[in-house]
Amino acid sequence: MSSFATFTELVLDRTAEFADEDVHIHLAEAPAGSAAPGTLAAEHLTYRELDAAARRIAARLQLHGVEGQPVLLLYPDTMGFLKAFIGCLYAGAIAVPAPLPEGSAHSAKGKLSRTTSMIGDCGAKLVLTDRASAPDIALWLATAGHQDVVCLATDTPGFGDAGAWREPSVRPDDLAFLQYTSGSVANPRGVMVSHRNLLANQAALARLLGTTREDRLGGWLPHFHDMGLIAHLLHPLWLGSASVQMTPSAFIKRPVRWLKAIDDYGVTAGGGPNFCYDLCLRRVTDEQIASLDLSRWRIALNGAEPVRADTLDAFAERFAPAGLKAGTMYPCYGLAEATLVVSGGTSGTPYRRREAGKAALERDTLAEAAAGQESRTLVGSGRVLDFDVRIVDPAVHRELPDGAVGEIWLRGDSVARGYWQRPEESAATFDGTLRDGDGGWLRTGDLGVLDDGELYVTGRLKEVVILNGRNVYPQDVEHAVRAVDPQLASGAGAAFGVEAGREQLVVVQEVRHDGDPRELRALAQRVQAMIGKEFNVPAGTVLLVRPGTVRRTTSGKVQRTLMRELFLAGEVRGAYEVLDPAVRAVARARDTLLGEDLLQPAPAAPGGRPW
Amino acid sequence: MNAPMTRHGSALDHALPRGWLLDRIALYLGRSADTIDPAVPLAEYGMDSVCALSLCGDLEEEFGLFVEPTLLWDYPTVDSLVGYLAAELAGADEEG
Repeated sequence: MSSFATFTELVLDRTAEFADEDVHIHLAEAPAGSAAPGTLAAEHLTYRELDAAARRIAARLQLHGVEGQPVLLLYPDTMGFLKAFIGCLYAGAIAVPAPLPEGSAHSAKGKLSRTTSMIGDCGAKLVLTDRASAPDIALWLATAGHQDVVCLATDTPGFGDAGAWREPSVRPDDLAFLQYTSGSVANPRGVMVSHRNLLANQAALARLLGTTREDRLGGWLPHFHDMGLIAHLLHPLWLGSASVQMTPSAFIKRPVRWLKAIDDYGVTAGGGPNFCYDLCLRRVTDEQIASLDLSRWRIALNGAEPVRADTLDAFAERFAPAGLKAGTMYPCYGLAEATLVVSGGTSGTPYRRREAGKAALERDTLAEAAAGQESRTLVGSGRVLDFDVRIVDPAVHRELPDGAVGEIWLRGDSVARGYWQRPEESAATFDGTLRDGDGGWLRTGDLGVLDDGELYVTGRLKEVVILNGRNVYPQDVEHAVRAVDPQLASGAGAAFGVEAGREQLVVVQEVRHDGDPRELRALAQRVQAMIGKEFNVPAGTVLLVRPGTVRRTTSGKVQRTLMRELFLAGEVRGAYEVLDPAVRAVARARDTLLGEDLLQPAPAAPGGRPW
Repeated sequence: MNAPMTRHGSALDHALPRGWLLDRIALYLGRSADTIDPAVPLAEYGMDSVCALSLCGDLEEEFGLFVEPTLLWDYPTVDSLVGYLAAELAGADEEG
């Protein structure tokens, strides 16, 4: 496998060797009005077809002189995307996978669409899409002020002349693609992944998962998600096998479709964030389970958001009657800055876990809970194989011993080359130096602890909140909340995550208002609707507070960590507040204990509680 | 198109029981149905796009009704949803 200098070389080799075999199977949702609406129809793509399509697209791209230039890829599904992505590799261009800029026209005032922010940051002058999406994309480009960007629909008949294609000269450290999964909308950061990085991480995946050509990967994660792209779509190419994909909405509408596809197409490895397993637990019926055979599934990846032991156990138990083998649940850890995967367990063996005292963890130490003290179940993220790893005190950059919690630092060929056109942030994140002068470390921003070779991820240094596998940036939420109404515009706000059964978003926003509390409730409802719709995450907890409540530093920076502590201590109270029941139990525990909740006025309606 | 009025009427009554809708929404929001006020916007209970899409899937599966994924944002309360869906189902009945 190491005989390839670039991923492009590898793809050319694979497409020649496995020409007539499937490389990709896309399960498309039949639309309303079709013969069998709501069913999934399989579209197959062979290695030969992929090669031919990529040559045509690359030949066309070469006419635009895109070698070493970013090209934005906007596709509704993986079938068109995969051809365009490989087309970019064949042209020596830098692929930039992105979500369709849908809804941007209806976006709440003040919220920038993620894709708009990405094209602005990467500076792509060329967008590839399909015919169906092209009109919307052209409109978006015009309204976003990118009239100079050329938009091409790659499924137009006669698009590109494969015979005119010339193999580009690409070196291992040239960039293959930009991964825009980290960074807020206001401050996007494109992780620069080189061919060397991509090949190294594919090898790391194979070593961790024990994958071979016999394995099929796939699932429902979008192709602009790092796990969706690197593990589900590109790993099968690296292996010479096939990927099986459906859209996220096809899965969320009917979660059983994902499991059915695993059964029908012999998918052996694939997964997603913890929430997709919860979704299956809640929505797949016993009757459906009785018709499933999941015995060939050997690796159920669980990463990209905190992994929960109760979810893993419940899923393993519930789907055991469908043949799901013990040891299939596979917690893992990775991040876009390391291309994707960093650590994972030994496939076929149960994941590791251990109980840790909460009080000790708060003091950054892994230890058994003292008698009568609370403990927390930590799920092991497996072994770190292809990286040097250190646990480091993030304040003084001192390496910490096993059993101590600190920031996870990494070094290795999978560590990406930095953030696109952001030298300062790249140096701060990708070139950490230990106190003894040892440099070149990736600072992950994640907190963890090593114990007997096992990595346990315990939290985050960064303030990003991870919900439903999405990174939600507090500053984006705060900005959008202020834009909801003039009464909120001048106040400070703090958004942060709290642990209440699962990770939950809390929004504390100052409001200038002296009138009817019912008006505050209507205001809070608009904030909740905006967050649910624009950020795709639940906003069950919103506190509208008096001006001056949100703490800031002397330079005006919102102190989110402090606000979070005050909130959890029950010291932040809203002029109007609505609290998710699980959050209330955590943040208002003392009220319940002291019976103070009985002294409060009755809620005006379920869900709301003015006082 | 030729559905007799009686069938039309019964479809309205039985096809979309308010209780069914409330139960589904309660499931997605992780709270009991009796704590959901049908006049309160569901976002107040923490509704997000996963919940909204899930309900779209249910409507496809149970009633063969294909709705836009934005349905729950356009009709944000249980009351308004029931009103809209009843009309849609009646329309589908007449056409179908």
